[in-house]
Amino acid sequence: MDKMNMGKHISGKFNEELEAVRNRVLSMGGMVEQQISDALEAIQKADVELAEKVLNSDHKINKLEVQIDEECVHIIAKRQPAASDLRLVIAIIKTIADLERIGDEAERIAKVAKESFSKDQEQLLVSLENLGLHVLSMLRKVLDAFARMDLEAAYEVHQQDEQADRQYEALTRQLMTYMMEDSRSIPKIMDVLWSARSLERMGDRCQNIAEYIIFFVKGKDVRHVSAESMQRTVMGNKKPD
Amino acid sequence: MISVNPTTTNAEKLDLANLAPEQTALSIKNLDLFYGEDQALYDISMHVPKNRVTAFIGPSGCGKSTLLRCINRMNDLVEICKVKGDIELHGKNIYDKDVDVAALRRRIGMVFQRPNPFPKSIYENVVYGLRLQGVKDRRVLDEAVETSLRGAALWDEVKDRLNASAFSLSGGQQQRLVIARSIAIEPEILLLDEPTSALDPISTLTIEELITDLKKKFTVVIVTHNMQQAARVSDQTAFLYMGKLIEYADTDTLFTTPSEKQTEDYITGRYG
Repeated sequence: MDKMNMGKHISGKFNEELEAVRNRVLSMGGMVEQQISDALEAIQKADVELAEKVLNSDHKINKLEVQIDEECVHIIAKRQPAASDLRLVIAIIKTIADLERIGDEAERIAKVAKESFSKDQEQLLVSLENLGLHVLSMLRKVLDAFARMDLEAAYEVHQQDEQADRQYEALTRQLMTYMMEDSRSIPKIMDVLWSARSLERMGDRCQNIAEYIIFFVKGKDVRHVSAESMQRTVMGNKKPD
Repeated sequence: MISVNPTTTNAEKLDLANLAPEQTALSIKNLDLFYGEDQALYDISMHVPKNRVTAFIGPSGCGKSTLLRCINRMNDLVEICKVKGDIELHGKNIYDKDVDVAALRRRIGMVFQRPNPFPKSIYENVVYGLRLQGVKDRRVLDEAVETSLRGAALWDEVKDRLNASAFSLSGGQQQRLVIARSIAIEPEILLLDEPTSALDPISTLTIEELITDLKKKFTVVIVTHNMQQAARVSDQTAFLYMGKLIEYADTDTLFTTPSEKQTEDYITGRYG
C-alpha cells in the first residue's frame, strides 16, 4: 500500500475515493476468480447446477464493471488526477475491462459444462483441468500483484503466460488427434477446444493486467514491446537473476 | 494510412539540458538570490527555449515569481535584493553593469496577476509604449493598435470603441488589453505572472488560448498556481520548491511520469 502512497493526499475525500474504487476492483477480481474456479469444477464434475450458478452470476461482474467505470469518470472529472494517481485510474479502467472479459470466458466454459460427456470423452477434460488450474493461479497472482502494486510479481505472471500458451498448443494437438480418430466425437471435442481457447485467452488477459501494473509502477507502457525491452523496464539497471 | 502521431501532446520534446543556441531564448546560470540575509533562490540553472511556453510551478513562497522577476530585473526595485549568477539573453548577461534596464524591459515584457490598464482609452493603453519610444506617426500607431489587439484576441470585441476608457472593459478583457500593450512594443519574451488568477474560468480559457497563439511570435514564460493550467498551456514546466529547481522537463513527462518524488507529491496534491 505504501508504494501507492494513496493515503497521503491533502484531500481526505480523494484518498477515500481512490481507496474505495481500488477495493472494488479487488472484489471484482475475487468474483471473477470464483467464476473460473466454479466453471472448472462444473466441467470436471459435470455439475449442471454449479454451471447454472456461474451463468447466473456473470451479471454481477458486469454491474461492478459499470460502477467502477463510473467512479473513475467521477474521479477524473472532479480531481483531475496527475502522475501516479492518473496512472492508477487508467490502470483500473483497463484492468476491469479485462476482468469482465475473463468473466465472459468463464461463462462460456460453464455453458460447455452443461453438456454431457461420455466416459471416453471425460479424459479430454483432464488436460483441460491442468490448463485451467494454471490460468487460475495466474489470475490469483496478478490480483495479488495488483493489490500490492508489486512490479516483480506482475512481471512473473507476465512470463507465465508462455506456459499457458504451450499447454494450449499441446491440448489442441491432442484434441485434433482425437478428432481424426473418431469423427463422431468432433462436436464434443470442439466444445472442449473452445473451452481451452477460453482459458488461453484468460491467460492473455492476466498478462494484460500485469502490463497495467508495470505501467502504474514504472510509468512506461510495456504493451507490444520486445521481451528485452520489458525486462529492462522492470529490472531497471538491476541484473536479472 | 492511419496517422499514429499523438495529437494531444504538446510541442515536440527538446533536450532541455543541451539546447542549441539558436533554440535558446534565455539561459539562467547558477542564479542565487538573497533578500537581505535570506536566500530565496538557490543555484538555479536552466535554458528557456525560444517560441515555446515555459511554466514555473510550485507552492507559495517557492521562489517562482521571484525567478520570473529576475528575468526582466524587476527585483532591482527591491532594495535589499541581491542577485548572483547570470541570466543570458543572446549570450549577454542581463545583470552586467552596462545593461540599460529600460531597454531590457522593452525586450522582455511582463503581465501581472491583476489587470493594470492605465486610466486612459483602450487606444492610448496599447500605444503607450510606442509613444514613450517617440513614435508619432498616426498610421504606425493605428496599425500597432490593430495588430496588437488582434494578437491579444481582443480586436473584435473593442474595435468599435477604441476611445472608450480601458476601465469599461471586463476583467478578462482588461488582462488581454494589458497583454496587447505588452506585445505592441514587440518584445522577444513575455513574462506572465499568474495572469489568470483574478479571472473567471471562461476568461481564463480565452487567455490560455491566447498564450498558445502568442508563442508563435514570442517566447512565453508563465508562473501559475493552477497546475492544470500549466499542463494545458506550457511546453515545458519547471517545478520549484523552497527556492530550488527540483525538476525541469517537458510538460507531458512532468505531469505523467515525474522523476522526482517531490514533484510527484506536489502535482498529485500530497503532503510530503
